[in-house]
Amino acid sequence: MNIAAIDSSATFGTSWLHRTAPRAKLAAFVFVLAAVIATWNVLILAAIGLVLTAAVVSARVRAGLAASLALYPTIFAAVFAFTAAPDLITGVTIILKATVAALAAVTLVLTTPYPQVFAPLQHVLPTVVGDALLMTYRSLFLLIDKFGNLLTAVRLRSGFSARQPLRNAKAATRALGGLLLYSIDLAQRDHDVMRLRGYEGRLRVTTPRSEAPARDAALVVAAAGVTGLSVLVRVYAAALNPFSWMAPLAALAILVVVLLASRRSR
Amino acid sequence: MSHIHIPDGVLPLWLWLAGWVVALAMIAVTSRMAIAEDVRRKVPLLGVVSALMLVAMSSEIIPIAYHINLTVLGAVLLGPVLAPIAAFIVVTILALLGHGGVTVIGLNTLVISAEMLIGLALFRALADVLGRKRASISAGLATVVTLALSTLLLVGIVWLGGGGDAAGRETGALDPADLRFENPFAAGVFSLGLFTADEHGEEPGDEEPGGEGAGQGGLSVGRFAAVVFTLGPLGWLLEALIIATIVGFVARVRPALVFAGALADERRYIPGDETGTS
Repeated sequence: MNIAAIDSSATFGTSWLHRTAPRAKLAAFVFVLAAVIATWNVLILAAIGLVLTAAVVSARVRAGLAASLALYPTIFAAVFAFTAAPDLITGVTIILKATVAALAAVTLVLTTPYPQVFAPLQHVLPTVVGDALLMTYRSLFLLIDKFGNLLTAVRLRSGFSARQPLRNAKAATRALGGLLLYSIDLAQRDHDVMRLRGYEGRLRVTTPRSEAPARDAALVVAAAGVTGLSVLVRVYAAALNPFSWMAPLAALAILVVVLLASRRSR
Repeated sequence: MSHIHIPDGVLPLWLWLAGWVVALAMIAVTSRMAIAEDVRRKVPLLGVVSALMLVAMSSEIIPIAYHINLTVLGAVLLGPVLAPIAAFIVVTILALLGHGGVTVIGLNTLVISAEMLIGLALFRALADVLGRKRASISAGLATVVTLALSTLLLVGIVWLGGGGDAAGRETGALDPADLRFENPFAAGVFSLGLFTADEHGEEPGDEEPGGEGAGQGGLSVGRFAAVVFTLGPLGWLLEALIIATIVGFVARVRPALVFAGALADERRYIPGDETGTS
């Protein structure tokens, strides 16, 4: 998990999606997720996936990073679909549901700094949980960095050898043990710092004011439209299913337009 | 594979909503218990232990969906009150990174919390019976048993949610009966079949309504259970070996962490301020 790349994409991006208010993006995410939950129509799922891909392209997010994150749950969904789905098409639908929902989450995370994603959650969750969410994300950076350094140190001391997998496993596990001790000390240091700074049980995150309220509203309305379409096709499946092929076609047209526009803007 | 890698929208609404309600109630109770004492020490500890579990859960060790969880180790460090909160934090961040559905966060929290609490209880019981010198064996055994139990819980959840009638799961213009695209132009301008009708030995529409196959298509719980209980033991053993090695190492270097938890030392002084005046 390339957490540094995720954070860099969310923090330093300047696209329209990066500049959209975090609350609007969270609301849009919830709507898209509702659309994915509501539908069992493989073509509607494909259409939502294509629209999200267009959003990722227009946000100028690193395509490889977004794809690797969105496709990772596909492996697990494929295992579940292979073992539990009654037929091929249901299996494909399950895999698409996982991939499209993941793509929606990844689009949010790659265009929104993590404190802004967690800030609304802080309002509804108990303070200790909200604060620990922020601390966890911060600690992730430090631990991944430290673990990388530990593994480099093991490698430099010839701790890893292609011919000795058992020795490799032992070295990696000891590195994990070292990381554990480091993380406990890190927690103690964090405690010291928080105590000195007067922390009394609430980390405050300031949310920026909306740059363009009309754009924010348009994003939420578009996402609500996707949910509406998904629910409509589900409710009137018998009548609308023969026409559901139109949805991916329209989404594909959007993607092509976005691709052409992004190529031209370069 | 102890937590649910089931995508959003596969489990029925009542099941994942119930999971959310129970999980949030549990989080509310444990949070209230946690803030009763020094919360300043608990928040950073929760952060780093959750981050450790996240690093483990998001790193595939064998490319067929195996990853370690470090849940038992997390519970040993955090204790029973903070463990469910860590479980909730880990599954929430994993869901935001696309790993596991958002709707199943509640169920995942319950499964991982159960894993952590059972693992902790087993480890403490085994450490009492086998002695502190065999901490690694206790941790390994506790991990294997806990992962087996949590896998059983996972199968139970799929069983609860898997009885749905797939006849209601319309899959669009693609006909699930024969995997053939319905012609969107009624007159038959084009058609695209993934398999031809001959391979099934029957033409679409030959099946009798209510006959064999009708109403089938709910998730196959038996096949799912057979696969996870066949593939699972390898993962349980791998994780048990890793946890046993780590616990053995930490028990030698800093035994208090393993046997009393990371919060064992009641008071924490800032270096240079041992009198505790600040």
